[in-house]
Amino acid sequence: MSAVRSLTAVANWRSWAVFRRNALVYLRNWRTAVIPPAMEPVIFFLAFGIGFGGFIEDLDYRGTMINYATYIAPGLIAYTGFGTPYYEALYSAYVRMFYQKTWDGILATQVELPSVVWGEILWGAVRGMVNISIVALVITVFDLLGVVDVRLEFLVFMPMLGFIAGCAFASFALIFTAVVPAIDHMNYPVFLIGWPVSLVSNTFFPVEPQSAALRALMQLNPVYQLAECARGLLVLGNPGSHLLGLLGSTALFLVPCTLLSVRLTRRRVLGD
Amino acid sequence: MTTAILEARDLTKSYGNRVVVDHLDLSCRRGTVLGLLGPNGAGKTTTLRMLYGFVPPDEGTIYYGGRRFSENRAEAKRMIGVSTQDDSLDYDFTVAQNLLIYASYFRPRVENLEGRVAELLEHFDLTPYADASPHVLSGGYVRRLLIARSIVHRPSVLFLDEPTTGLDPSARLDVWELIDGMRADGLGIVLTTHYMDEAERLSDELLVIHEGRDVVHGEPHRVIDSVLGDHVIIVPRAEPAREAIAAWLRDRGAEQVATVLGELRVPVSKEDLAALTARFGEATWQVRPPNLDDLFIALARRNGRST
Repeated sequence: MSAVRSLTAVANWRSWAVFRRNALVYLRNWRTAVIPPAMEPVIFFLAFGIGFGGFIEDLDYRGTMINYATYIAPGLIAYTGFGTPYYEALYSAYVRMFYQKTWDGILATQVELPSVVWGEILWGAVRGMVNISIVALVITVFDLLGVVDVRLEFLVFMPMLGFIAGCAFASFALIFTAVVPAIDHMNYPVFLIGWPVSLVSNTFFPVEPQSAALRALMQLNPVYQLAECARGLLVLGNPGSHLLGLLGSTALFLVPCTLLSVRLTRRRVLGD
Repeated sequence: MTTAILEARDLTKSYGNRVVVDHLDLSCRRGTVLGLLGPNGAGKTTTLRMLYGFVPPDEGTIYYGGRRFSENRAEAKRMIGVSTQDDSLDYDFTVAQNLLIYASYFRPRVENLEGRVAELLEHFDLTPYADASPHVLSGGYVRRLLIARSIVHRPSVLFLDEPTTGLDPSARLDVWELIDGMRADGLGIVLTTHYMDEAERLSDELLVIHEGRDVVHGEPHRVIDSVLGDHVIIVPRAEPAREAIAAWLRDRGAEQVATVLGELRVPVSKEDLAALTARFGEATWQVRPPNLDDLFIALARRNGRST
């Protein structure tokens, strides 16, 4: 019963009150919050798409030949869609929980703990949407410059795909937020999980494991599904089975990770 | 006698094998201050966390406005305001925005919120800082803002957890005035503090707990009288007859002979004081009414702690 309450708290006004609080802070600092995410894909395109990509021959993507810059454009969508909510729920949520005691203040009101967790998940996912929108704008510019060749009409779907997967990534990150003893220990989820996962998910290079078990494991990886779903849409106009894969893998992550986050956060913040 | 706005019966909480709160009863009426006292580790914080709804009791029932907390959680949490000991202000917002954002965590929404915020800023002398970051506030004003924030939704019960810790004497007095004013406005207030003068002056009732149990409760002077008696004598360290006085008092049945920085502090009855004066007329000592400091020392000794 409490598991059901924890999961359905997403629809509760309390979760959106926490979300609203974080959104208001973001809007106050929007300049610093927008410029770095816009620069990152520009640097990636210049360094890898044009620089490194100049040494790489065109790739065969499901029967269509594309240049490397076009290959990494959806990869950047997935990389941003993963990294933004993941790091938001790791670092920013930790600062709000531990240093600023923002959660303590909120929990002394009518807002309950599952709503605090959901507020952070939703906010992380929406931040992912915002940053993906910025990346999409950069891709549009590079498409118009002829550096990449994508189907621009499908770029509008990218933020929504990012939101769906972003909920899973944020809920996953909150598990670490609830258990790391100090902010320095965030290096473990960042370097042992964040970086490897964002690289081996068909973001910047194709990964085709020989082992059937590893291939099956890849199907459960929402970053891989997001990258392939975005690539299918932007290159071919068809996500194939990866849209279902994205929804399924997101649900597989989101439900247990949210329940575990609530449980671990309750122990850490409320001492129960 | 007004009915209790907060009532807790038989509260019990254990962590592992350790019973932290042990069948504790308490109540707080509108327009009164309940002082919840106890040494470190007595179970005050756990009691408060159960009353806030942070942790559920293992046994016992909490009522707000006569209704069970566990069955009317949202309504009950709308009735309570919490000012925690830690500074949990939202430093991403201005002083006024702290009140506005905090109000957004309650339903039904606060009526005429803008007017309520202006009223609180004025009442707590925060209007000059309304558009400033809380970073610019002194410790006393941070505490003012924390208290103002905790009542923005017009609660019926306010929890003040060590509201003057770390404040200078002037700022402490200001907070006392604010607490007194809120009591006059009809709020039921649960106050925890380590300052015995604060508890004594502000509380209408005291509840002293130790090892999670109710040691003594009631009106402050009755609580003190029941444990300590009429007077406390203080025999200075330099008094040559100090040890003789202590031995004489023990012989007469004094159980609470405490030594504080070399001074002897002993609660005595009127009769004992008269006899002491007759027996040690040449000695030097002071006599004063007992206070909560004496009570704490006495209770600590009674429960086997050194002073």
